[in-house]
Amino acid sequence: MLRFKLARQRGNMNMFAYLYLLPAFVLLGIFTIYPLINTIITSFRLDYRFLTGDFVRFSAQHYVDILRDPVFWRACINTAFIAFICVPASMAAAMGTATLLHSIKRLKGFFTTLYFLPEVTNIMAAGMVFALLFNNNFGLINMVLGWFGFDPVAWISGVGIAGSRELYMQAYLRCLFVLFVYSVWSGFSLQVILFLGALSRINPQYYQASSIDGVGRWKTFWKITFPLLSPTTLYVYITSAIIAFRAFAAIVALFGPTYGPLGDDSRMMITIVGYIMDSLGNYLSPGAVSMASAAAVVLLVIIMVLTALQMRLSKRWVHYS
Amino acid sequence: MTKTRKTLNYILLVIVAFLILIPFFWMLSTALKTENETLHIPPLLLPAVPQFGNFARALTVAPFMRYFANTVIVAALVVSISSVITVLTAFAFARLKFIGSTVLFFVILSSMMVPQELLIITNFMTIANLGWMNTFRALVLPFGVNAFNIFLLRQTMRQIPEELYTATRVDGLSNFQYLRKVVLPITKPTILTTMLLSVIWTWNTFAWPNLITTRDEMRLITNGLSNAFTARAGNIQYELQMAAATLVVIPLILVFIVLRKQIFAGMSRAGIKG
Repeated sequence: MLRFKLARQRGNMNMFAYLYLLPAFVLLGIFTIYPLINTIITSFRLDYRFLTGDFVRFSAQHYVDILRDPVFWRACINTAFIAFICVPASMAAAMGTATLLHSIKRLKGFFTTLYFLPEVTNIMAAGMVFALLFNNNFGLINMVLGWFGFDPVAWISGVGIAGSRELYMQAYLRCLFVLFVYSVWSGFSLQVILFLGALSRINPQYYQASSIDGVGRWKTFWKITFPLLSPTTLYVYITSAIIAFRAFAAIVALFGPTYGPLGDDSRMMITIVGYIMDSLGNYLSPGAVSMASAAAVVLLVIIMVLTALQMRLSKRWVHYS
Repeated sequence: MTKTRKTLNYILLVIVAFLILIPFFWMLSTALKTENETLHIPPLLLPAVPQFGNFARALTVAPFMRYFANTVIVAALVVSISSVITVLTAFAFARLKFIGSTVLFFVILSSMMVPQELLIITNFMTIANLGWMNTFRALVLPFGVNAFNIFLLRQTMRQIPEELYTATRVDGLSNFQYLRKVVLPITKPTILTTMLLSVIWTWNTFAWPNLITTRDEMRLITNGLSNAFTARAGNIQYELQMAAATLVVIPLILVFIVLRKQIFAGMSRAGIKG
């Protein structure tokens, strides 16, 4: 209302403004708003048939179906592993590295550029390289382990795990480790740059004061740097977690199109997006598209909660700082 | 800072750099090995004689030149279309006054939250119904509106002093002339950053093109790479896989190294809004 009044007062109410917005909103309408609504509706259509558009009735049955599907829970656990374990780990590394980087002058640009390389590296290519690094026979990791006298580890292998819960868990943990190393490597890049930017905006007087008082380096970090970085830390965490919740291409590159090592048929390393894609790939069977839609709506809710959390918390932090 | 502490900092930074570079080293080293060398147990750190011919051979495994050309075409189209839309939309929200501007801007911002994966389902049906499967239109148009870029550019445009706008209006310039003659030159660095981010993003896009391109000659580079080389273990020729990966990775790294100052400036501008 206020905006409306102000515009009227200045006498330059601009009808042409809508022309500027027209292209954006036409495309947004067709490719974002309509699909969003349609997907939510489809998720409630029982046994929706993709080709004819027929369905039995509206029902929440497909939500019950995915919540009962062990593969969906596996997808949730793997996705949560990336968002809640891998992301904090790479952030810790990124924050430490950014602090070191901030304290030097010579070669700073060189290191920054080098650290950013994973961000501009094609996900599929990077995933393939990691699969080869961890290859049981021909990988660099086992070669280095060999130098120190360790036996090679079957990092990405599910051979002979069928029927044994214990062997399955061991194979799963090794695959999780590979995923962890890849995720830290690929997430680190952007986080370093964002932390470095935030560090350069901290008023240097804080550090001068602490050095006059003779406060140690470690204490300075925890008492000054860490609290002042907290809004950035929150921002970096939420954006990284949202990216993590959408992990898909990397999983295909690391573990193959069936989301698991050779010998595994449980789709061991599947993610939520992988689950959506799998259901979607099955589009000819009735209800498969509804299942994909239901899983996608669950993902949307998770991402909305994360975003809302960020908005609330960052408001509070800005308020108190 | 004492000298030992400084040295320690550099040593730690070098170790991190080393860890970051390991995958690149193994990719290049494997790409230059012979097939026998890639299958050697224990693996060899470096090839005896670098096999530069692997790159040419990798290109024959699948029509990679075609994928490469497709990706460049799609990236160019996405960048040009979405840049025009980004500039017009950001300008309207930054400077023009109209009813509903707050609500409409909120719609744009919210669209950032919606995961592409959710939209893919219906968009796939839309494209199939339009008969647009295997077309550039289908690869480009869904990415025409980039909410993040619109937001970034609007923030930059708002920093232009309002007096400048009032002055040009008094001089009789229309809004569009003001946009062209004043706003565009001032915000050029940010626009360039958004363009670069679009290129990086298009280069890595995977799920959508994977779904709507069924014909080999329409595939993009990421999909081509995945199709040619993610067979289940045993029958991959690693030296060719890594040579192809190298060819996919190098162009973007070169673009980045040349324009890195530009990208970092835009990134830190985006980071301010934490």
